[in-house]
Amino acid sequence: MKKIFVTITFIGIFIISGAVMSGCFESSKVAAKSGAQLWGENCNRCHNAPGPGEFNNDNWDIIGTHMQVRANLTKTDVDKITEFLKSANN
Amino acid sequence: MRKLLSIVLLLLFYLFSQAQDSIITKASPGSNKFIVYGNAEMSYISNSDSKNFGEVNFKPIFLWRISPKLFVEAEVEIETGEGSVNLGLEYANMCYAVNSYLILHAGRFLPKFGAYRGRLAEGFMNRFASKPTGFGDGGIGASVETGVGALGVLPFGNLKVLYDLYIVNGPHLYEDTLNAGQFDYEAYISNNKTLAVGGRLAILPFDKSNLELGYSYQHKSGTGDLGSPNQNVSLDMQAVDLNYFESLKTIKSILRITGELRHQKVGTNAIYLKPDGETPYSFANSPTAWYMSASIRPALLDNKFFRNLEFAYRYSSYKRPVDAPWGGSDLTSNEFAVDYWLHWNSLVKIAYQSKNEEPKTFYVSFVFGF
Repeated sequence: MKKIFVTITFIGIFIISGAVMSGCFESSKVAAKSGAQLWGENCNRCHNAPGPGEFNNDNWDIIGTHMQVRANLTKTDVDKITEFLKSANN
Repeated sequence: MRKLLSIVLLLLFYLFSQAQDSIITKASPGSNKFIVYGNAEMSYISNSDSKNFGEVNFKPIFLWRISPKLFVEAEVEIETGEGSVNLGLEYANMCYAVNSYLILHAGRFLPKFGAYRGRLAEGFMNRFASKPTGFGDGGIGASVETGVGALGVLPFGNLKVLYDLYIVNGPHLYEDTLNAGQFDYEAYISNNKTLAVGGRLAILPFDKSNLELGYSYQHKSGTGDLGSPNQNVSLDMQAVDLNYFESLKTIKSILRITGELRHQKVGTNAIYLKPDGETPYSFANSPTAWYMSASIRPALLDNKFFRNLEFAYRYSSYKRPVDAPWGGSDLTSNEFAVDYWLHWNSLVKIAYQSKNEEPKTFYVSFVFGF
C-alpha cells in the first residue's frame, strides 16, 4: 500500500514539476500549426468541431478554458484555436 | 496517508507561488464571463416487454471564467429514467490554471478514468442510444468523485502526454444482499478514513493528435463503511482506452474508432451475508468490461443529406463475478446505429441492440445540444 502511494506521489511530482518548469518543448512543426489546423485536430478528437461564428468572442474564451480542462489542451493551443474562431466574428 | 497529503499540500503551495502569468485576454466591457450550455435528450425504447417514450434528460452546464487563471464548471443533471424526476450534481469543479501545462482543481468532478466516462459518453459524442454493457448502472469503473487533482498536457516534440492525477473520497462498497460486492461510484461523501488515489496517463503519438492511447489506475485501501467488517476491503481499478479518428479522403468520410477495457479487483477479505441475514459468504470479485466501436460518416460529401448521416457499430462485453448476487454469466451486446446530424452537437439516433439475457431493443433517441 505504502509502495503504491510513494510511487504515485513520485510520478505526480515528476510530471507536475516538469510542467511547472516549462521545460516542455514542441517540435517546430507542431509549434507552427495555425489555429484553424489545431481547431480541426483537437475538437474532432472527441466531437464534431463547432463552426466559427457559433459563439461570440467572450463565450469562445470561456469555452476554450472549459476544453482546456476537459480535453487536456495546452493554453497555447487554446489561445490559437479561440483566436481563429473569433476571427469569424470580427 | 498524512505524509502524502503533506507532500501534496507543499507541492500545491510551491506551484501557486511559482505560477506564471499567462496572456491576459480581457472580456468585452459589460460581459459577465458566464455561459450556460449543455444538452437535452429523450429516447423512445421498444422491445418485447415494453414500448416507452422516456429517459428525458436535461443537463445544463454552467461555466464561469472568473479570470484567465480561475475557472468554475458545473453540471446539473435532471433525469426521468426511473419514473420520477431526479436532480443530481454531476460536477462542480473549481480550477486554477498554473501555467500552459498544468491545472489544479478541487470539487466534485469527472475523474479521467478511461475516456468513456466524462467525455465520450456525452449524448452528442456517444453514437448510440445506450451505454456499453458494464459501463452504465451496475457496471464498473470510476464515475464521479469529490476531491482534488492536477491535470494537463506535456508536449515532447511531435507527441503529447496527457496526465490527470487525483486524490478523492473513492467508491463505497455495497454490503446489502442484493448488491453485495458492488460499489457506489458517485458518492458525495466519504464512508471511512481512507481516500482513493488515481490518475490517467495518455499519449497522442502523432502530431495531428488523431490517436489517443490511455492508461488509468485507481486504488483505495478501504471501501466498506467505517466500523463494518469490510472496512479494510481494498479496490484496485485499471483501464486502457483508445480513441482514433481519420479523414478518409478517397471515400470522403471520417472514420472514428473508440474502445476501452476496464478491470477491477476487490480485496479477498470481503465478507457478505446471504439473504437469511446470518450466513456469511464471500466470492471472487474481479469483473472486466470492455467495448470497441467504429463509426463512419461521409462528412466530406457535397450532398447535405448524406454528409449528415453516420453509421456506427459497437460490441461490448461484461465479465461479471459468477457468484455475486448481481453476477452470473458474461453479458455481451451488439449495437448498430444510424445517426443523422442536425447540428454539430445535435442528432437523431436510430439504434438496434442485441444483448444476451435481454430482449432485442429498438431505440430512437434525440439529443439537442445548446
